Amino acid sequence: MADVSPVEALPPASRAYGELEPPTAAPRFGMAVDTERCLGCWTCAVICKSENDVPLGMWWNRVLTDGEALDTPRQAADGSLALSFVPLSCQHCDNAPCTKVCPVGATYHGEGGLVLMDQERCIGCRYCMIACPYGVRVFNWGRAERPAVGETGMVAARPVGTMEKCTMCLHRLHDAQVPSCVWSCPAGARIFGDLADPSSRVSTLVRERNGQRLLEERGTEPKVYYLEPRRRRSL
Amino acid sequence: MGPARPRVDPRLAAWLATLIALMAAGGGAWLYQQWNGLRVTNMRNTFMWGNYILFFMFFVGLSAGGLIVASSGRLFGATRFKPIVRVAVLEATVAITLAGTFIVPDLGRPERLLHIFLFANLTSPMVWDVTIVLLYLGLSATYVWLYTRADLAGRGSPLALGTGTSERALRRDDRLKGALAWVALPAAILLHSITAWIFGLQIGRTFWYTAVMAPMFIASALVSGLALVILLALAVRWAGRLRFDDGLVPYLGGLLAVFIASEAFLLFAELLTAAYPGAPAEGQAVTRLLAGPYLVPFLGETAFGLLLPFALLASARLRRYPAVVALAAGIAVVGIFVHRLNLLLNALSVPTIALPPGLSIGVGQAGSVGLPGAAFATSYWYLPSPVEWLVVGGVLALGAFLFTVAAWYLPLQEPDHH
Repeated sequence: MADVSPVEALPPASRAYGELEPPTAAPRFGMAVDTERCLGCWTCAVICKSENDVPLGMWWNRVLTDGEALDTPRQAADGSLALSFVPLSCQHCDNAPCTKVCPVGATYHGEGGLVLMDQERCIGCRYCMIACPYGVRVFNWGRAERPAVGETGMVAARPVGTMEKCTMCLHRLHDAQVPSCVWSCPAGARIFGDLADPSSRVSTLVRERNGQRLLEERGTEPKVYYLEPRRRRSL
Repeated sequence: MGPARPRVDPRLAAWLATLIALMAAGGGAWLYQQWNGLRVTNMRNTFMWGNYILFFMFFVGLSAGGLIVASSGRLFGATRFKPIVRVAVLEATVAITLAGTFIVPDLGRPERLLHIFLFANLTSPMVWDVTIVLLYLGLSATYVWLYTRADLAGRGSPLALGTGTSERALRRDDRLKGALAWVALPAAILLHSITAWIFGLQIGRTFWYTAVMAPMFIASALVSGLALVILLALAVRWAGRLRFDDGLVPYLGGLLAVFIASEAFLLFAELLTAAYPGAPAEGQAVTRLLAGPYLVPFLGETAFGLLLPFALLASARLRRYPAVVALAAGIAVVGIFVHRLNLLLNALSVPTIALPPGLSIGVGQAGSVGLPGAAFATSYWYLPSPVEWLVVGGVLALGAFLFTVAAWYLPLQEPDHH
């Protein structure tokens, strides 16, 4: 996979959208998801597929409904309805269970503390999927199927029989651009930046809005924070 | 070609031909899977380890039998095992070979298997498990050779590798067997513990995340391993390749009953600990076992797989009959298989974050969310695909083939004089 896709070969300016706040010298990239703003439209999930050329049936990023069913509110005993969304992709844990169990070190902590994949080293044992409590890793079960012929994304194609996952659009970070799920969100519900910088927008929001992490009790130390709604969301 | 070598009879030839056909079918199915990717299995992102890992776990457990019999005979003076010691170490060798083989079709990129050694990540239990599986295979095979080489030398077989049958050679073999027992017993305990830790160290899977996992793997390995040794020893005796008197059978049956009781005790201790607080995460898994969709396999494991053989073997009167002991051993092997199946089913069928629409299945599907063939699922009922069954059948046939050929060729009768 040394060769890059035609789109990837374009100069950065041709695909610039969503500038990254300048990170510190040793960044810890993370994200805040404002559940007060999320409207469950799946734009982030769909652009992730096209940005990263994620084949049919595979999703690096999904929007879960905290409700009875997809887009269906939950009814409380008093008859009131409640509905919120949990956009879910790799949490880029500092204490990642997946990197610990990978027998060949194909999944590892790379630049900016991101959990990355080496698809050329992966043996396809899926132990990392077993270990991940968030269910965000996806496997190439067969040859990639795409709605249109050819590669559509900004990255090179990935081989069959290996694991893949969210990279926080590492290729965009290199061009000082935020991940595509961030700039594309119509509600501005995703905030990306450097958690190592206490004055960055993401750090400030996590601090001021008391950002919570998923399955905190498992001690995985995710770098994705969820900001709770400030008003009661009762329908 | 020594004088002791028996002639090939037509029934044996037909049996071997059947096994070769099954191996060919399994090999073909594996190539088909390699060509098309693992989507030809029914494993998906929602249920990522299936039949292959199930049989891997099961055969790791089965391989326990041989080294218990061989090394406890040495270390604890359990001399009554002596007549079946060669069958037992042969069983261990074949079982661990199959366990290792089952890893290969599970991999998406089997041609990169050597990466496990080239890029070994020492925090991964899988690296340690592959290492101990290979070590255990080496030990078992050494055992088989050490126990048979004097007889092989006696019949002039090249497999004796130039060793003789002098008193001195026999005394040295005896010392080596004793030394090997000191390595083999810890290796066996490590094998089952490390395999258990592949599962038991995962905080992401609460049903597995328990300290009792390693002891329970040892207990279930002792049950299935000894049960299979009993069955194979009786089969080899029936085929006329081994003599031992009926007095050994109740002894083995009684020991099996003790192993079954330890397994049942650990299982009960685990379920009680998980269920008692009534906390959701672990409690739900236990509820699924006791009242949910897994009640039938759970009863299969406990009532059928543990209680029934225990009842048969606990009776001193009943276990005098080899047929009863064989029946109980057969049920116990199936019961441990169902136990391993429950471990996988209950841990994997529901994701940790089970909000709708759930995990993406992983392959392109017709239909949309909520309809049959949906691309997302919050739970997934896994049943192996025909390809998975053909591959498993092929590997099982390989095991039967190896055991049959070895049992037919190797001298399995342990002489009384040394």
